[in-house]
Amino acid sequence: MSTLLTYISVNDGKIKRSSLEVLSRCNELADIHNLTSSALIIDKDASNISEQLKAYGPSVIYTIENPVFKNHLNTPLLKALSLAVHSIKPLVVAFASTESTKDILGALSANLGAASLSDVSEFELTETGVKAKRPVMASKIVSSVESSDRLTLFTVRSGSYDVSLKTAETKVENIPFSFNDEELKITLKEIITASSDKVDLSEAETVIAAGRGVKDEEGRKLVEELASVLNAGIGASRALTEAGVYDPSLQIGQTGKVVSPQLYIGIGISGAIQHVAGMANSKVIVAINKDSDAPIFDIADYGIVGDLYKILPPFIDELKKVKSEK
Amino acid sequence: MDEKFDCIIVGAGVAGLAAAMILARNNLKFLLIEKGEFPGSKNVSGGVLWGSDLAKLVPKYWEEDAGWDRFINHRRLTFMDEQSAFSVDFKSAHFNETPYTGVVVLRSKFDRWLADKVQEAIDSSDYAMDSFIATNILVEEVLMDNGKAVGIRTGEEKFYADSVIIAEGVNNLLTRQVGLQDTYVPADHILTGVKEIIRFDQKVLEDRFQLNGRSGMSNEFVGYCTDGIEGGGFLYTNKDTISIGLVLGLKDLREKEKAPYDILNTFKQHSVISDIIRGGEVVEYSAHVVSSGDTRLMPEKLYKEGLLICGEAANLLINTGKAIQGMDYAMRSGIIAAETIIKAKESSDYSETSMKRYQDALENTYVMKDINNFQDAVHLLHDPVMTQKLPNLLCDFGRNFFSIKNEPTPKSRDMLRGAIKRHSSYWELMKVGFKGYRAL
Amino acid sequence: MKFYVCIKQVPDVNAPLQIKNGQLIQDTDRNSLNAYDASAVEAALVLQEKHGGEIVAVLIGPDKAKETIRKAMAMGADSGVFIHSETDTYYDSYSYAQMLAAYFKNKEFNYIFCGKQSQDTDAGLTGSMLAELLGLPYVTNAVGLEFSGDVLLVRRQGDTGQEVIELPSPGLVTCSNDMNDPRIPNLKGIMQSKRKPVESVTSDELQAALSAVKTKILGYEEKPGREAGKKYEGEADEIARQVARILDETENVI
Ligand SMILES: Cc1cc2nc3c(=O)[nH]c(=O)nc-3n(C[C@H](O)[C@H](O)[C@H](O)COP(=O)(O)OP(=O)(O)OC[C@H]3O[C@@H](n4cnc5c(N)ncnc54)[C@H](O)[C@@H]3O)c2cc1C
Ligand SMILES: Cc1cc2nc3c(=O)[nH]c(=O)nc-3n(C[C@H](O)[C@H](O)[C@H](O)COP(=O)(O)OP(=O)(O)OC[C@H]3O[C@@H](n4cnc5c(N)ncnc54)[C@H](O)[C@@H]3O)c2cc1C
Ligand SMILES: Nc1ncnc2c1ncn2[C@@H]1O[C@H](COP(=O)(O)O)[C@@H](O)[C@H]1O
Repeated sequence: MSTLLTYISVNDGKIKRSSLEVLSRCNELADIHNLTSSALIIDKDASNISEQLKAYGPSVIYTIENPVFKNHLNTPLLKALSLAVHSIKPLVVAFASTESTKDILGALSANLGAASLSDVSEFELTETGVKAKRPVMASKIVSSVESSDRLTLFTVRSGSYDVSLKTAETKVENIPFSFNDEELKITLKEIITASSDKVDLSEAETVIAAGRGVKDEEGRKLVEELASVLNAGIGASRALTEAGVYDPSLQIGQTGKVVSPQLYIGIGISGAIQHVAGMANSKVIVAINKDSDAPIFDIADYGIVGDLYKILPPFIDELKKVKSEK
Repeated sequence: MDEKFDCIIVGAGVAGLAAAMILARNNLKFLLIEKGEFPGSKNVSGGVLWGSDLAKLVPKYWEEDAGWDRFINHRRLTFMDEQSAFSVDFKSAHFNETPYTGVVVLRSKFDRWLADKVQEAIDSSDYAMDSFIATNILVEEVLMDNGKAVGIRTGEEKFYADSVIIAEGVNNLLTRQVGLQDTYVPADHILTGVKEIIRFDQKVLEDRFQLNGRSGMSNEFVGYCTDGIEGGGFLYTNKDTISIGLVLGLKDLREKEKAPYDILNTFKQHSVISDIIRGGEVVEYSAHVVSSGDTRLMPEKLYKEGLLICGEAANLLINTGKAIQGMDYAMRSGIIAAETIIKAKESSDYSETSMKRYQDALENTYVMKDINNFQDAVHLLHDPVMTQKLPNLLCDFGRNFFSIKNEPTPKSRDMLRGAIKRHSSYWELMKVGFKGYRAL
Repeated sequence: MKFYVCIKQVPDVNAPLQIKNGQLIQDTDRNSLNAYDASAVEAALVLQEKHGGEIVAVLIGPDKAKETIRKAMAMGADSGVFIHSETDTYYDSYSYAQMLAAYFKNKEFNYIFCGKQSQDTDAGLTGSMLAELLGLPYVTNAVGLEFSGDVLLVRRQGDTGQEVIELPSPGLVTCSNDMNDPRIPNLKGIMQSKRKPVESVTSDELQAALSAVKTKILGYEEKPGREAGKKYEGEADEIARQVARILDETENVI
């Protein structure tokens, strides 16, 4: 029986929620179409991680384990994925959309001669391939696309589907893999990590995003305080990542990350389409901006017109009270 | 490459493009510089290019399905009070004949289209490789040497030419910089235009305005539409959108502390307008200064040695209430400016006397003749009697005249008398009437 | 050093657009150089200024796209390659990658730069596809480039931080617009661009390399709308507290 294969993204030994979202959707489609849904873990600790995954009910968990997967590098990952696809022969391979999966999607599809679709927000199976929706024109509109290839690879935006647990008989199968350094071609010299143990933005329930209106240390302190009260991830507009105020990995938008939290609070952000492209799917959007004509107010559920330096202190204060009442 | 140009034109609006077209056709080597990302990107206009000068630049333009949207065969002038509208409406099959005498253009499309035509002319001229249209470049200074224009500066770069045509539009900083206009311009004679583009399904638009094929309608408004501010409103049908907007006196706005956008919203909520625009979607909003056509604002001299000023940079525009004419004036003045430069090149004479020919020629065209002849009409349009009392009076009269109440109906003469008493006086009307008679 | 930069003409995403019967209609037909490709051109120019070399801009597109090559040359690219294709709506990233691969097959170069994605489709596929088809090592999502000797050191934005990767020549990089601010061509640049050579290639021969187009756009639709909600204006302390309460009591997101 043909299988829908979900690639499981792992970060620091932890499965990324977004790949569980994709797996859950594939489980659902497998049931409808009478297929199986399976998962693939490529990691230095793949077999340990497979334990975490069983609760989500793929029929088979394929693992490829090798120390080379300690850090992301496209050459070994491509080789492993290509090997996995050749041995599993899935109908589709679904990925959560991350910088790592986006790095290899095109190359893998060229390598396999397969169709590929990136950053879809919905997908379903057709007789001959995959039908999907993807935001285009800086996410102003949505296009429907179809692949007509036997094998289709696609990445899925985080937040597109809900995660559901599933009890099932799960087999774990290891795919032997070897890699020697000569095959590497590219060399990873260094990783400049963003300040660690912050909340992962694309998975955060609450996101505070800072924009050019946050001008100084005092502003950043307010943003941080708000984030800590709400246990939120901090993101930023390009205006601030470009200026080096926040780490580039925190950029939200067309070039940066797509977030879809329960609550997004934009502080001193104008709402350029390229920024909105990365946050428009948030459940509740709050915007604080002193310009009452700022475009962000066109999409905000709650728009607070005012100077962030005057708004944030009482806002934080009130939220603290709310929290303490709980 | 570094050698001199025959001419550098600043500004790729209607005036600059018209001048460039003539220069290209006559094999001059020139540079046309536009600060916008592309020609038309910075230009706001309500959109009717009046007259038939366009055919001079692009013969048989009407055979093309680009650049221009519709031709006007239906005109309407509407007087408004708070609840009513009294219109003079004229539609004629005469207007259906080419060359059309009014075409609706959307500047962001039209200017680019015209620029493509100019590029074609350049490509088939002797200077295909040496004449340029350069966009996204701001001219910061006209270089003068002993009172003669010799080139321009942008950033660190300087470029030289025998002549410079300033076609920079209403914000005429360079015109002021070369000393042809005072740096201080009183707000009295300056207006601000606000405009929205509202989109409809093309068929809905055509049905609603009774348009047929490429025919179109233009509607001017006086009265309530400006909410007590001097000025007027306009509405033009484009292909599948309408342009609707207001032209408002800057000084009056300031004194009465009103915002153009709020007035536009009030105008759009008027029952007559809201019926027209129902179901449409606003796709663009823009605002732009516009001159009033008051000659008191015009530079006395439109030239210097090696230098000409054309289009709205020279405040060549007139707004008589029945139409704003700025683009056709810009086009014609651009054409004449180019012709003057061509002559100057033939005799290698860029002296003031040679440049003065431009202004002399302009005096003999409809541009200056109309501007001079219709000054009174321009002033009249800023008379509160005209913009407030008359529309109110007409609407009052209209309301009585057209309502049938199953009561004895007064004679219309009496209705009119009543309306006049309520809103004005015979004396005031006579004054305006006399002014109007002289003006038109 | 020889750099090729693959550039694409894209519709201006800021211009108004509408959807009619599932078709995307751009009122103004305004097009521009893909912003990510502008960054790629800029990156190449910066390297060239430091280390010398030659920059060639390569574009596949219909006639109207030629102006985009001029734009890259006005920025400073030395020459252009125009691969003419009748349409720009039918092809997907795979098609472009295949045509580009066919073009590059017998060419010699050090590095190919691409944009990390197209501004209109955000696909982000062509670059790595092209690398794989040519058998080149590659790095995507570059945010910084510098030479260490003859080898390119590429900083790429990864999931958790920035990865510094040594990329041997020949290789391929896809560039993020976070890398730099592309220069706006000056007047000299614009004038010079007219005299720079553009090689025209018909896509017929390259199209031979094209297998079936693998993905197809079925149509467009509006995004599920997000209405503007409520705006709070007035005394800072009051509106701040008011919204904070609502987030808890009405929205239940605190
Ligand atoms: C191809 C491309 C991709 C891009 N990708 C991204 C992307 O991924 N993410 C992204 O964010 N941008 C992206 N951009 C850039 C985007 O277009 C905007 O330039 C950027 O988002 C602007 O950031 P901003 O809103 O912080 O700054 P601005 O637009 O400058 O807005 C600052 C806002 O702060 C308000 N403000 C100022 N002071 C105060 C105060 N004291 N109190 C309250 N409010 C105040 C102002 O009213 C203003 O509205 C991209 C651009 C391009 C061309
Ligand atoms: C709301 C509104 C409605 C109107 N309706 C009508 C109408 O229906 N019919 C009509 O005929 N007219 C109308 N007009 C008037 C008309 O738009 C102008 O009179 C006409 O555009 C003038 O043409 P121009 O070429 O002189 O200037 P513009 O069209 O303004 O062009 C000037 C160009 O020069 C460029 N420029 C300026 N400075 C520099 C510089 N330093 N360096 C480089 N480039 C520079 C500008 O970017 C611009 O593109 C309207 C105007 C407004 C505001
Ligand atoms: N028609 C084209 N001509 C030249 N390069 C292209 C073309 N299409 C895509 N590319 C390159 O691929 C990148 C975008 O890839 P994608 O997002 O898959 O469309 C662009 O930034 C270019 O570098």
